[in-house]
Amino acid sequence: MKSRVPSLILSRLLIALVTLTIVSFAVFFATTLLPGDTATILLGQAATPEAIAGLRTAMHLDEPALLRFVYWIAGLFQGDLGTSYANHVPVATLISGRLANTLKLAGLTTLVSVPLALTLGITAAMWRRTLYDRIVTVATIGIISVPEFVVATLAVLVFAVYLKWLPALSFTYQVDSFAGLLRAYAMPVVTLTFVVSAQMIRMSRAAVIETLNTPYVEMALLKGASRPRLVLRHALPNALSPIANAVALSLSYLLGGVIIVETIFNYPGIAKLMVDAVSTRDLPLIQSCAMIFCFGYLLLITAADIVAILSNPRLR
Amino acid sequence: MTKTPETWTRADDSMVESAIRRGANRRDLLKMLLAGGVSLAAADLVLGRASMALAATPVKGGALKAAGWSASTADTLDPAKASLSTDYVRCCAFYNRLTTLDQSGIPQMELAESVESGDAKTWTVKLRKGVTFHDGKSLTADDVVYSLKRHLDPAVGSKVAKIAAQMTEFKAVDKNTVEITLASPNADLPTILATHHFMIVADGTTDFSKGNGTGAFTCKSFEPGVRSVGLRNPNYWKGGPNVDSFEFFAISDDNARVNALLSGDIHLAASINPRSTRLVDGQKGFALSKTTSGNYTDLNIRLDMEPGSRKDFVDGMKYIVNREQIVKSALRGYGEVGNDQPVSPVNPYHNAALKPKAYDPEKAKALFKKAGVLGQSIPVITSDAASSAIDMAMVIQASAAEIGMKLDVQRVPSDGYWSNYWLKAPVHFGNINPRPTPDILFSLLYASEAPWNESKYKSDKFDKMMIEARGMLDQAKRKEIYNAMQVMIAEEAGTIIPAYISNVDAISDKLKGLDPSPLGGMMGYAFAEYVWLAT
Amino acid sequence: MKTHSSIGTFAAWSGYRINPVGLVSVSVVLFWALVALFAPHITPHSVGEMIDADYFGPMRPGLWLGSDYLGRDMLSRLILGARYTVGISLAAVFIACFTGVVLGMTSAVLRGPVDMVVSRLLDALNSIPSKLFGLMVVAAVGSSIPVLILTLSIIYVPGAYRFSRALAVNIDTMDFIMVARIRGEKLPYLIASEILPNIIGPVLADLGLRFVFIVLLLSGLSFLGLGVQPPYADWGALVRENIGGLPFAAPAVIVPSLAIATLTISVNLLIDNLPQKIRDRSAS
Repeated sequence: MKSRVPSLILSRLLIALVTLTIVSFAVFFATTLLPGDTATILLGQAATPEAIAGLRTAMHLDEPALLRFVYWIAGLFQGDLGTSYANHVPVATLISGRLANTLKLAGLTTLVSVPLALTLGITAAMWRRTLYDRIVTVATIGIISVPEFVVATLAVLVFAVYLKWLPALSFTYQVDSFAGLLRAYAMPVVTLTFVVSAQMIRMSRAAVIETLNTPYVEMALLKGASRPRLVLRHALPNALSPIANAVALSLSYLLGGVIIVETIFNYPGIAKLMVDAVSTRDLPLIQSCAMIFCFGYLLLITAADIVAILSNPRLR
Repeated sequence: MTKTPETWTRADDSMVESAIRRGANRRDLLKMLLAGGVSLAAADLVLGRASMALAATPVKGGALKAAGWSASTADTLDPAKASLSTDYVRCCAFYNRLTTLDQSGIPQMELAESVESGDAKTWTVKLRKGVTFHDGKSLTADDVVYSLKRHLDPAVGSKVAKIAAQMTEFKAVDKNTVEITLASPNADLPTILATHHFMIVADGTTDFSKGNGTGAFTCKSFEPGVRSVGLRNPNYWKGGPNVDSFEFFAISDDNARVNALLSGDIHLAASINPRSTRLVDGQKGFALSKTTSGNYTDLNIRLDMEPGSRKDFVDGMKYIVNREQIVKSALRGYGEVGNDQPVSPVNPYHNAALKPKAYDPEKAKALFKKAGVLGQSIPVITSDAASSAIDMAMVIQASAAEIGMKLDVQRVPSDGYWSNYWLKAPVHFGNINPRPTPDILFSLLYASEAPWNESKYKSDKFDKMMIEARGMLDQAKRKEIYNAMQVMIAEEAGTIIPAYISNVDAISDKLKGLDPSPLGGMMGYAFAEYVWLAT
Repeated sequence: MKTHSSIGTFAAWSGYRINPVGLVSVSVVLFWALVALFAPHITPHSVGEMIDADYFGPMRPGLWLGSDYLGRDMLSRLILGARYTVGISLAAVFIACFTGVVLGMTSAVLRGPVDMVVSRLLDALNSIPSKLFGLMVVAAVGSSIPVLILTLSIIYVPGAYRFSRALAVNIDTMDFIMVARIRGEKLPYLIASEILPNIIGPVLADLGLRFVFIVLLLSGLSFLGLGVQPPYADWGALVRENIGGLPFAAPAVIVPSLAIATLTISVNLLIDNLPQKIRDRSAS
């Protein structure tokens, strides 16, 4: 199969660069629109005009923002993420440990949520309009309609405060065994699974049901195929593309969107870093985080597109 | 209402304990408790409990874990730049100051042996001998000169540059003596030097990530925005601390912080939401530590623009603010009613004779009518950036609505609030951290040229009084002037200070030896050095 | 918003059969729509008035749903909150999904440079963190309800676009589209009559889900200072400001959570149980 996939990946890499550049500029303009700069924010209530001017000079913030941005881009091409304005630490140092934490949490959540969600979604479609389907639907929507901070706080109250089975905080630096891993990650992973699964469950269900209605599947039904076989062999391959997209969109949330889980479980990840960076107007840090989120997102949707192409013979 | 042991809370316990520490004897205490409506039997029980707590002797060892409420990548171990409570706690653990304030707000010597002056202009600081930094270097006069002088360099970005500016000359007279010359006399220098930002660092330090100070803990690790770990300094000149290690981080979510305490993950949850106190108070094994330190959130009406330029509007607002309701609803009792001036009741110079304005909607209505603003919609800017400001705005808005005065409360992002809205909007909220002396408060907030003159109050008379009192070594006379200045602020300025906010720390009862301090919660942020963990 | 939520009943009247689950869902949605519509006339107290000396008070006569963290009447706050949650969320979800789905189908049909440009721009938009985006909007255009609705829509367009495009690309490869193309049909006809009917099921499911997301994000943006101003609050904001009551199982935090759940579950069940004729392509 001399497929389009290799050339697709190559062209996607080029396109990714373009997208990253657009995002970079968009983030830059968004940041410059915000009131205040690093010097005024760091000084906070202690900001007098002289103090601001002095600090700006010391931090080299007196150059035009656009020029600093261009320097940052130039550095990026040499693999240098720049130095944080807020604490003069190289951005790479600030990010590396926390990115690893974020990837760990995202990876574990993916391992739990994707198989769970797809199973629930596809079986719900298989037994559409049965009691099982209704229960899955109501439970899914019920769970995601509860705000994330309520789920997380409730989990802590029950499992840490009353039952005392788990620590309230995720002490990741104490993980040295499988039990330790469970203790540190159980609640954050479950909370995030609640948050990201719904979209995958609902979309896989809807996509499978839709393909069940196509003439091609109706034909198989007439030939006497059983319902589970029908879904798995005929409907599912055709529904893969939207499902892959739903999975990609859901998982992309795990990179930059987990701020609430990071805050409540005191988990040092990259989402909190980004929020800090925005509130101190730390341009190199904001840019670097935004690039990471964008890159992760592009990776996921490109994977989804490849799945789509592979699953549909007519697109190959 | 007679308090019985059942309604007696742990906060009351700690009040009694601290009274005992201050030297009150059994008879004084009984008198105090009975005056507070406590039955004799109950009082006996409480006293027994408090003296038991005191009788316990410090235990060595253990790993102390505590959580503050704010942290970011801008966390720093540079004392000059410390801005969040988290920074203060770490600076107190790793460094020392020349002086500290005791429970009554009186300066005591720390790294200094004495701080003296004959004219309040030229000060001689004698240093303690035999103090070493964590890296082994001995403390000398050069370190002190370097530490203080840095604040004058704008490139450092010191939070107290404005206060430090009055120190014009530093001289290392000999190895253990420093001479500080002020631009004009200021009798408060020993108190000013107790501010957290004036911690002493080693001469020439530019990289502060190691936390190399003379303090009770050496810095094992420090990750900005994540956590820090300190180990007991075996060579600490004071001889402590009690605990082996001290881990500190921030949990910004109010509930998560309390839950971490209740689940046993941490020993102290700093500054908890007053509404969570019920949760901790009823629980066995936990206690509350309450501090009123002079932090306040104020409603500022700029006098130099509409509608604040109409005096009757400003006066009307002072009468429509229901201070009792604010303390009751917004602060849930954890605060004291304020009298519209910045010197708090814990400060020795507080003017207690100046009564807070009573809530008087009719009088307010008449004043609004006179100002011609009744029926208009007045925008009031509020934000989460100033603690409890949104809740206070709700209370004021509801009272104003009853007399037909429409306050258009606008919640704006806390992000950028201080540079964007504070001092700028015609009617807005501010939040002022405790400062140790009236002079600092007045010169930062109310002098005509003050950098943060929140209501743009201008008075030549006030400025003159401020400078006169500053150089005065006669305490009684000084207090008289400060009292008069507090009355001027309450009557003439556009800053409404409805309450002084109390700070409540929740602690595990394993944690012993935590005393309230006027410098702020967590024993003025310095608790790690003094507390111990019961086994 | 009232007209949208009455689609179900309208369908039932004009001869389409709706099953009992669908009927219950329609009733719940209609109920909340009516509450929202008549809110100012049925609140027992003013939303800002602090009538309870206690906080997180229990349910009792006069304070039927208890009191909130400042001692205000939860029933009144919930009733007025319905206006914001139902109104703003419905408006935002329709704008987001309409824009996203139309763009998605257009890209799928046109392919080539149009697809390329629109896809990249929306990918980029989706990569901007929503907090940064929200703050930027406040800083640039200030805060008002229309701005809030637009911001919410913009945040959710890329997701709707990506999903509908993925569906439409699959349909676009089918023979009947080819036939229609050869017939010389124009773009609007292709997307409205050939593609949309074949993807309407998943698209509606996506809309239902996006509705839930918007209801939740709404309160997050309000706390950034964008949108609903105190003393008013949407349901998500009610949950958020009373979260301290969770350990006490206070009605102030449970009741708005239940309100959100009933509304969002009903909207989604309604979509799942729409009469066959609306869901299936045979309807066209």
